[in-house]
Amino acid sequence: MSQPRKSVFITLALVLMLAAVLSACSNSGTPSPDTSASSGNSGSKENIKLRMTVWGSPEEVAPYKKAIQNFEAKHPNVKVELQHIAADYDTKLTTMVAGNDVPDIAMMESGTIAFPMAEQGKFYNLQEFLDTDTEISPDTLVPNITYSLEPGNVIGIGPGPESFALFYNEDIFKDAGIEPPPSNVADAWTWDEFVEVAKKLTMDTNGKTAADPDFDPKKIKQYGANISTWWGVYSNFIYSNGGDFISADGKTFGLNQPEAVEALQKISDLMNVHHVSPSPVQSKNIPATNVALQTKKVAMTVDGQWASAGLAQSKFNFNVGVMPVMKEPVTTVVCGMFSIFKSSKHPQEAWELLKALLDPEASIDMLTAGTWMPSPKDWYTDPALLAKWTENLDARPSGYKEAVVDVILTKGHQTPTGYVKNFNNIMDLVNPALDKVWLGQQTAQEAMDSIAAKVQAQIKGRRDIKE
Amino acid sequence: MRKGMFYGLLFTAPAILGFAIFTLGPMIASLVLSLTNYNVFKEQTAFTGLDNYMRLFSGEDELFYKSLGITFYFVVLRVPAVILLSFGIALLLNLNVKGRAIFRTIIYLPSIVPAVASAMIWMWLLNPDLGLINSLLSRLHLPTSNWLYGEGSVIPSVVLTTLWGIGSTVIIFLAGLSGIPRQYYEAIEVDGGGWFRKLSHVTVPMVTPTIFFNTIMTIIGSFQVFNEAYILTQGGPNNQSLFYVFYLWRTGFRDAEMGYASALAWILFVIILFFTFIVFRTSKSWVYYEGGDRA
Repeated sequence: MSQPRKSVFITLALVLMLAAVLSACSNSGTPSPDTSASSGNSGSKENIKLRMTVWGSPEEVAPYKKAIQNFEAKHPNVKVELQHIAADYDTKLTTMVAGNDVPDIAMMESGTIAFPMAEQGKFYNLQEFLDTDTEISPDTLVPNITYSLEPGNVIGIGPGPESFALFYNEDIFKDAGIEPPPSNVADAWTWDEFVEVAKKLTMDTNGKTAADPDFDPKKIKQYGANISTWWGVYSNFIYSNGGDFISADGKTFGLNQPEAVEALQKISDLMNVHHVSPSPVQSKNIPATNVALQTKKVAMTVDGQWASAGLAQSKFNFNVGVMPVMKEPVTTVVCGMFSIFKSSKHPQEAWELLKALLDPEASIDMLTAGTWMPSPKDWYTDPALLAKWTENLDARPSGYKEAVVDVILTKGHQTPTGYVKNFNNIMDLVNPALDKVWLGQQTAQEAMDSIAAKVQAQIKGRRDIKE
Repeated sequence: MRKGMFYGLLFTAPAILGFAIFTLGPMIASLVLSLTNYNVFKEQTAFTGLDNYMRLFSGEDELFYKSLGITFYFVVLRVPAVILLSFGIALLLNLNVKGRAIFRTIIYLPSIVPAVASAMIWMWLLNPDLGLINSLLSRLHLPTSNWLYGEGSVIPSVVLTTLWGIGSTVIIFLAGLSGIPRQYYEAIEVDGGGWFRKLSHVTVPMVTPTIFFNTIMTIIGSFQVFNEAYILTQGGPNNQSLFYVFYLWRTGFRDAEMGYASALAWILFVIILFFTFIVFRTSKSWVYYEGGDRA
C-alpha cells in the first residue's frame, strides 16, 4: 500500500508548488505602480491607452470604430483598444470585474448589470463631467437617454435613443381598402379603433377575417397586429393608460393597479379574445419584423424604431405610424449607455471618447441605415441636421418624422429599467405570472394580485426621486 | 526515485496539473466563497459562515426548492428513459444485420451535432402550431401538445429532446455487448433456450457493469442539465423549467451573487455525490464482474 500513499504525497507537493508559483505570478503583477498614470489628466502628452467594450452586430460596431478614429485623430497621444464582445456580454463583463481586468469605458444595458455595478460604486458620476463641459449638457440631449443611480448621479449616457412606433405594410392596407395608421399624434387611433382594424386584417387560411363569425383562429395566415410580450413593448401601453410598474412615491407595486391591469388585459385580449396578435407560443413562428411584414404574416407591428434598418433592406412598401393610444400618447425610450469605470486612470480622456461616441457624424451610417437615432437634440430641431438622417432614405418612410421624431422629443417616457430599483428581481416574479395572462389562463388582475405580496417585498423604491 | 516513476509522473503531469489548476483550485475557492457574501461588484467581502446555506434551507428562497424539485423530476424521468432506450438500441445494433455500420453511425450522429443547433431544431419540431410533430399528430387524429410551451409538458419535452443525443451511451453499451463470449449463448442454444433466455441469463448479467457505469454517468449528467433551459425555455413557462444549474448560473452571473451561487453549487455537488454513492452501494447486489466475485 506504499505506492498510492506516495503518489498522494507527490500530488500534494505538486499542488503546493503550483500554489507557490501562482502566488508569485500574481505578486509580480500587482506592485510596480504605474508612474506615468499619476500625472493623470494634467494634459501632458504621455501616451495613453483606453480600453472599451461593446456588443452589437458588425454594422453597429462600425460606427464605434469610426468614432474612435475621429477621436484618435484629435488626440494623437491616446490609443483606443476596442473589444467587441459579441455574445454573453454581461457574463464576460462580470468575469472581467471579478478578475480586476476592467475596461475604461463600456457599453452597458440598464436592465441587467449596469445598476448592480453602479450601486457598488463602479462608475464615475458623469454629472460632474456634464456640469463642467462646454459642449454637451443634459439640455442638449434628447430626454430620457441618461441613466441615474439617484438624482444627480449619472452613471451612463445613451449613444442612441430608441422609441416605439407602429410599423406596417402599406400594400396590405391598400389591398384591403383600409386607411393606414395615422402618423400624427393628434390623429392617433384609440385602442378600440386599432382592434377593429387589426380584426379586419387578420385572416385565416380560408380567407375569412377575424371580424367574420366563421373565422378559424386555429388557422391564421395573416395576423392584423403583433404586440410582443416583451416589457419594452407593453410598457408603452401601461404608460399610455396612466399606469406604471411602481407607484409615484416608489413605495408600492404598480402593475396590479387598475390602469396597468387594464393595459395588460387589453394586450392579452388581442391574443386570446380577438385573435389578432400571435400569442407567445404562436409568435415563435413569427419571423423578425421586416420579414413578418414583407411576407404578410403580420400587417402591423409595434416595434422599436431600430426595425427601420431591416425594413429598409427588405425593399417593400412599409411605413410607420404612431402607436394606438389608450389615454395619453406615450413612447418608452430605451437605449444602451456608455459608462466610465471608476478604475479608469484616464477619466478625462474617457469622457472625451464618450462624447466622440455620441457624435452623430461618426455614426451617420447607422442613422441613415435606420438602426439608430441621434442623441443631441439639435439633430431633431435643426432642419438641416434633421434632413441628414431622415430625408430621401429607404429607412425613413413618409410617416417617420411625425410618428417617431416628433414623438420621442415630446412624448418620451423613461424605460422602467432606468428608474425602478431592483427591476430584475421584480420581473423575475412578474414574467412567470404574465406567462399565464398571455396564454389566457388568468386575467391580468388575478395574475398580478397573485404575486403582489411577493413583489412588494422586492420593492426598493425609485431612482428618480430623492428618498 | 525510480526511473519508471519519474516518467510516469512526467507523463501524467499535464493531467494532474490541469486538474489542480482548473478543477481542484476553483473547487476549493468556491467552497471558501460559499461561506462568504462575495458579490462580484462589491469591494467588501465578508465571511458569513453558513449564512448562505441557512438562507437556502430556511425556505426563504422559494426558487431553490422549486428548481431542485424540477431537476429531480427531470432526473427521474430521464435516467430510466436513457438507459432503457440506449440499451434497446444497442441490442438492435448488435444484431448481425446488413449495413450494421451505417445504422451505428446514424445513431451516433446526433451526438456530434452542437447542442445549440439541435436545440434550435427541436424548438421548430416541437412548435405547437407549425411544428412537424404536432402536424403529424393532428394528421393522425392524435391529441397534440404545447410541448415546450406548456407548464405540464415542458419537462417531459425537454427529456424528449435530450434523448436525441444518447448515441454515446449506446456506443458504450455496444462495447459491453461485444465483450460477451459467444459460448455462453451457444450453451443456451444447446439447452434449447430462446432469445429471451439469452437476454435474461447472459446478456443482461454480463453487461451489468456497463449499465452501472452508464447509470452513474446519466444521473450526473441529468442533474447538471443547463443548455436546454438556457436555449430552449429560459426557465419558462412560469418557471416550470427553472433547472437547478440554470438558476445557479442566473444567481452567479446575472445577479453577481457568487458566494450564494457557490453555496448552490456545493449543495448540488453533495446531492450528486449522495446519489452516486447510493448507486455504488446497491451495485454490490446487482453488478456482476466476470472472473471475480460480485463487486
